[in-house]
Amino acid sequence: MGLRDILTGRHAVKGPAPDRLFAISTAYVGLQAEHQIEPAGAAAIVFQALATSDFESTLRDMEEVVRATGGDSATSVSTEDDSYGYRWMILRNPDGAPNVEDLTVGINAVAGSIESAGYGERLLCAVFAFVDRSGGGGRAPGARVYFIYNYKRGDWYPFVPDPDHPQQRLTERELQIKAQIASELPLEPELERWFPLWGIPI
Amino acid sequence: MAKRRSSFGKDTGLQARMVMTMFLLGLLYVVFIGVLFAAGAATGLIVIVAVGLLLVQLFGSDKIAMATMGVKEVSPAEEPELHGIIERLCVQADLPKPRVAVIETSMPNACAMGRSQKSTTVCATRGILELLSPAELEGVMAHELTHVINRDVMVMTLASFFATLASMIAQFALFFGGGFGGGYGRSRDEEEEIMLVLLVSVIVYAISFLLLRALSRYREFAADRGSAVLTGRPSALASALLKISGTMEQVPSQDLRRAEGMSAFFILPARTKKSLMNIFADHPPLEKRLAALERLESQLQGAA
Repeated sequence: MGLRDILTGRHAVKGPAPDRLFAISTAYVGLQAEHQIEPAGAAAIVFQALATSDFESTLRDMEEVVRATGGDSATSVSTEDDSYGYRWMILRNPDGAPNVEDLTVGINAVAGSIESAGYGERLLCAVFAFVDRSGGGGRAPGARVYFIYNYKRGDWYPFVPDPDHPQQRLTERELQIKAQIASELPLEPELERWFPLWGIPI
Repeated sequence: MAKRRSSFGKDTGLQARMVMTMFLLGLLYVVFIGVLFAAGAATGLIVIVAVGLLLVQLFGSDKIAMATMGVKEVSPAEEPELHGIIERLCVQADLPKPRVAVIETSMPNACAMGRSQKSTTVCATRGILELLSPAELEGVMAHELTHVINRDVMVMTLASFFATLASMIAQFALFFGGGFGGGYGRSRDEEEEIMLVLLVSVIVYAISFLLLRALSRYREFAADRGSAVLTGRPSALASALLKISGTMEQVPSQDLRRAEGMSAFFILPARTKKSLMNIFADHPPLEKRLAALERLESQLQGAA
């Protein structure tokens, strides 16, 4: 933000950064093969739902787009509002057939239609759910690992909530994952921007 | 990237008023510096003292304020809700996360402190946390974060620098120059010079005071607007302002006096009494803020 914007107190919300969402659709192969982090078959996109009729109709169109693109792979779509007033549009693969490519295409279609309707700055993040089968560091195998894509910055970061303690994260595991996949996924370099998301519904 | 259409229109009037105010302040300060230089080196010491004060204000005001206000930093485990709201807003605004603090008082209010985005503390009082719904609290926090984004603490501190200087000179000259100047063997020229500097300083101080108050009000409007743009919910902030103002009047006065010095950075001024004239207020009147938020809401709804 420039001096002029500071002086005039003007501030526009940033739109989405150049798209690096699709990095996950190749990075997950290495995660699965080398680090025993397997896709859980669900992903979600999080955005501020504006209480306007135009935005509501955009959302309805969007769900239809996703249903149409997900038709062959039988990806299901549902929406949920969280306590912070953000809307989660959740995409799920059919049981037993996780498919990260399908999810990525679906999430991208949702983001694309929000953007083309002129609401790109409302996008917060996309979340992909994984299952950690490695079970290192005293953790039970099968814990959730999330990869969060920050739309404002176009960066990814891992988020591992502690399954035993609410509102706590396993930073050690996150840093291990960071070291393991830094070459495959464009990660957020500033650790203080690895914002947690509590109560992820996937 | 697809062509983006903004959900909110521009507020050119506000921008123009703000730039105009700053221009007038700048002009006033230039004249003032000119007079100081013409008056000679005697004022040099005062300028140095004033610069020192400015630095203290820039680098220490948040710490002083935090110490006197009983501000307590809180961890995510203590206040998960507040941290959650602020974290999401930070993602949305692409800001690093500020420190989060709570003031244990029943008066509902919030403020942001610190000169830069890296050294910011966002505070909420216990009263506001209990009073507002999550959406309203989000609106208030977005207002405070917009102050951070707009660097309002820095802008206001710098803008008021020469006003502070002028008031110091006026006091100094009154004390040493006006009362018993003759006894120290000064010539009449020197006497007149001191009187001139005193006069100019008083005038500069008076005018800049009004201009600064106007600037502060415009920055408040800009922060309200920024909050609406950030959350997409102008009416949530309006409702929060209504709730806060409704309870402001019933607050015990002891808290208010302690909070007095902080009012420029609060979301609503800490005083209970109505201002005599709006030009002396550092916050715009509630009705005007509500009207501005209502315009934003109708722009949003009309975006179809």
